[in-house]
Amino acid sequence: MNPAAPDPGPRLRRILAGVFRTPEPSLRGSLKREDLGNWDSLKQMDLVHSLETEYGVVLEIEDIVAMTSVGEIARVLQAKGVKIED
Amino acid sequence: MVTGGAAGLGLAIASHLQSRGARVHVLDKDADALGRLPAGISGQPADVTQPEQVRAAVAAIGESAGGVDILVNNAGWIHSEPLVNLLESSGGSHDPDRFRRCLEANLVSAFLVGSVVAEQMVRKRKKGVIINVSSVSAEGNPGQTAYAAAKAGVNAMTVVWAKELGRMGIRCNAVAPGFINTESTRKALAPAALERLRDLCPLRRLGEPSEVAHAVALLVENDFANGAILPLDGGLTI
Repeated sequence: MNPAAPDPGPRLRRILAGVFRTPEPSLRGSLKREDLGNWDSLKQMDLVHSLETEYGVVLEIEDIVAMTSVGEIARVLQAKGVKIED
Repeated sequence: MVTGGAAGLGLAIASHLQSRGARVHVLDKDADALGRLPAGISGQPADVTQPEQVRAAVAAIGESAGGVDILVNNAGWIHSEPLVNLLESSGGSHDPDRFRRCLEANLVSAFLVGSVVAEQMVRKRKKGVIINVSSVSAEGNPGQTAYAAAKAGVNAMTVVWAKELGRMGIRCNAVAPGFINTESTRKALAPAALERLRDLCPLRRLGEPSEVAHAVALLVENDFANGAILPLDGGLTI
C-alpha cells in the first residue's frame, strides 16, 4: 500500500463507484488499475467524462495518462483545485 | 471535413453541408478537381491511405479552424471483379493486389482518417460526429468481393466507434447508398448492368448525389443518431 496515496472523500468515491461498478468502501487511494478487472481504456473515457462533468474541470492528456490508481485520480483533481475530502 | 470531397458524391456532400452552415474543408488527391472547388469550400491535396498525410491534414485544420467537428469519410474506389473470372483467357481468380488496393482505398482510409480525427476530438473534448460512406454492397454484391468486404468493414467500424466514442459525445453513423448517378458508378459498371440494377430497384431509378448528401446531413444533425447505418437505395435491398 502506498501511504502517500490520498483516499477519496464520499463524493469522489460515489463517482468512482458509478464508473467502475464497484462498492464504495473498496475505493481507497491505494487501489490500482490492475486491481480492478474492468478498468480499461473505455472505462478511462467514462472516468474522464464523469470527473469533468461532476467537477467542471478539464483533464489534459497528461492528467488522463497519470490516472492509474484511485490515489492518482485524487492527486490530479487536487492539483486542479478540487477538494477531494468532500 | 469531407474526404474525396472535390468531385462527385463527395462534392455534393460538401456543398450540401456548406448550405447547412458548415465551414467545409475537403481532402482529395485530385489536384485538378481541388482547383475547381466552388467558392467557400477550401481543400488540400492528400492521399488518405497515407497515415502521415492524414495526420498533417488534420493537424493543419486543427491550426486553421480549431479542429474537425464533422468528418465525412467519403473517399473510396468502387471496384468490381469476380472471385473467379471464367471469361478471362487465363481463367484467373481475383487479383490480390487489386483486393488490397480496394481495402486500402475504402476501409483503411476511413480507419486512418477516423482514428486521427477521433483522437483530436477526444483531446479537444469536441462533441463531434463521424459519418462513414458505406454501400449496399456491404450486403454482399456478387462481383464485388473486395468492395463488399471493405464496406462491410466500414459498417463494423461504424458500430464499434459509435459504442467506443459515444461516452465522449462523439457520434458515428454511416450512410449506405445504393446505385447513385455518379461518374464513379458509371465507370465501375457497364451500362447494361446499370440498366438491370435500375429495374431491380422499386423506384426504378438511380439515386442522385444530392439525396445521399441530404441523408448525410440528417445523420449529422440528429443528435440521437449513433451507430446507425442508413440504407439509401430506393428500396433495392428490401
